Amino acid sequence: MRVWQFSEQPYTPAWSVPGGVGVTLPTHHCDPVEAGTLLNRYLDEYMLADELGLNIMVNEHHSTSACMSASCMTTLAILARQTKKARLLALGIPLANRSDPLRVAEEIALVDAISGGRLEVGLVKGASYEVFMSNKHPTRFMDRFWEAHDLIVEALTNRGENFSWEGEHFHYRTVSVWPRPIQQPMPPIWMTASSPGSAALHAKYDYTCATFLSGAVARTVFDGYRDSYKAVHGRMPDEHKLGYLCVACVASTREEALRRAGKMKGYFDTAMRLDPQFRNAAGFVPVHEMVQLAKAEPGANRQRMRNGAPLPADATVEQYMDAGLMFVGTPDDVYEQLRRFYGEVGGFGNLLMMGQAGTLDHAETTDSLTLFGREVLPRLATLSLADCEEFVDTDAWRRSA
Amino acid sequence: MQGKKPDPITGASLVRIDGVEVELLRLGQGQPLLYLHGMDGLEGSLDMVGRLAEHFEVFAPSHPGFGISELPARFSTVEDLAYFYLDLVETLGLRAPAVAGLSFGGWIAASMAIKNPQVASRLVLGAPLGLKATDRRRQDIADLFMLPAAAAEQIQQVTPLATKPLAQMEAGELYRLFRNREAVSLFGWSPYLHDPKLRQRLHRIQAPTLVLWGRDDALLPPQYGDAFAQEIPGAQCEILDRCGHRIHIDKPNELAERIAAFAATSHLREDRHARLAV
Repeated sequence: MRVWQFSEQPYTPAWSVPGGVGVTLPTHHCDPVEAGTLLNRYLDEYMLADELGLNIMVNEHHSTSACMSASCMTTLAILARQTKKARLLALGIPLANRSDPLRVAEEIALVDAISGGRLEVGLVKGASYEVFMSNKHPTRFMDRFWEAHDLIVEALTNRGENFSWEGEHFHYRTVSVWPRPIQQPMPPIWMTASSPGSAALHAKYDYTCATFLSGAVARTVFDGYRDSYKAVHGRMPDEHKLGYLCVACVASTREEALRRAGKMKGYFDTAMRLDPQFRNAAGFVPVHEMVQLAKAEPGANRQRMRNGAPLPADATVEQYMDAGLMFVGTPDDVYEQLRRFYGEVGGFGNLLMMGQAGTLDHAETTDSLTLFGREVLPRLATLSLADCEEFVDTDAWRRSA
Repeated sequence: MQGKKPDPITGASLVRIDGVEVELLRLGQGQPLLYLHGMDGLEGSLDMVGRLAEHFEVFAPSHPGFGISELPARFSTVEDLAYFYLDLVETLGLRAPAVAGLSFGGWIAASMAIKNPQVASRLVLGAPLGLKATDRRRQDIADLFMLPAAAAEQIQQVTPLATKPLAQMEAGELYRLFRNREAVSLFGWSPYLHDPKLRQRLHRIQAPTLVLWGRDDALLPPQYGDAFAQEIPGAQCEILDRCGHRIHIDKPNELAERIAAFAATSHLREDRHARLAV
């Protein structure tokens, strides 16, 4: 298994401002000097991850104190130069919010060239509330996503003459990406899924499929991917085609790890602070799904704890751990928790680890990452389903998903 | 893909125009009136259509994308709807109907009359959307997409909402509600509920035009109506008291009477044109 360090790079000083943390939060709550200090700190932690043998994942959001990385490719351009070994994952670029997909292709090629071919690229739908900042139409969002995707793939892989693009949504007179990406035919592409149906589509493309903080649902997503992959490609996928994103925290004692996890839980608490009208911008979710959502029981779409009950909105660290969203404890504890989860979901090859979240400070993050890198990572590197047979196909938890 | 489509509104039927199947409510007898509904869909105007049917033969369609009307994949602007309705007028054989449009429907009606100045004998625009009236640092129209759902409804009318929680609504009602919202988003997300080019084209409207506005319109205030009427030759903006953006909800009786009276007036502007020609 490969492990990827990830932080949303929050501006936590503004979390004391009442109300939503995004969309409507005025920028006068940001002290830019403080923001710069924090951003450099998070970059330092990414560089430590590189030294520890971890890989690096960066994301982006807009107009929010929850995530200051407003452009994942800009952040990765810095790390492409400053790190040595880590694979660099943008997860992801919200394609349908971009005005200019050709520029996305250029940034991909540029960062791949600077990093010596270490870039991996997530192309994602992104969260509904992002359309309020991009002002891109929520309707026909995925039509635009796929046209941008097709153009980027053709732009990155083209080895012939320049070509023109006169599509439904995008128009280019002549397409020519300079420099070209080092990785051939192009850097590995990732997509995200929270249902077996979307995972099945990613399998057809042979793209890496990640699922975020989904707990028991990860099993159905991964199964959807594996079934589709086998049907399309005639073989089972390498486990490096599957990734799971969680929050993880290690300390030398269980008590200290739980204390740190309490600070990291701020990530979940702020994620809840989004005004309801921003959750599903009109047209972003298909009408028949909106009808189902309106008819669903409260909590129907929440992650499940192992007793089958939905995760409460104000869940504790222990409940997040039970649902498979947080992995917390000594190195031995965390390895055991991950071994169990790995078995329950049928295996996966990428642990996308939010190793910094919420108000976890630099010293704590450094200590947690170092312990993880030295004591958990080597054991995960060789983890296989043979190591966790007692958890494979024995658990009722995932059936509640 | 869209799940099960509900049946048409009682009394309405499905007609095919330009290959697009739309829901059409046809009611009453007399002079033809094309009634173009607002953002609340045809279902928000049922009472209004009933009142108008006492004076007119009313043709009240659900716009493509609204209610259960189909949405062609390439429709994305109010101009697409305007061309569609010009074809509908021809296909149904309506001869110079009166055209009344409320809110979003007023924007469509104005766009039709720009494209074909002869299409309407009379034009009534009730708090039409579509115009960019002030400077670029202001959002002219209150942002319905940024408001909590209930507030986005209440801001449009002074009449208290008959609120029902979503979970208690029938699947068919929900389908229409979400489709209406999706269509408003498609046609109005950005530029937000306006067309930057509308102002420079409104002068093409030749039909005698009445603009009506609610004094208490909290979505876009009556000054917006004056700006709209100013661009249309001979048009005037009349203000209705104790009335919000949804004139058809807040003042249905006055609206019906006003449309009927205006449609019955002689062709003042044609007379004026005739005089000028002499």
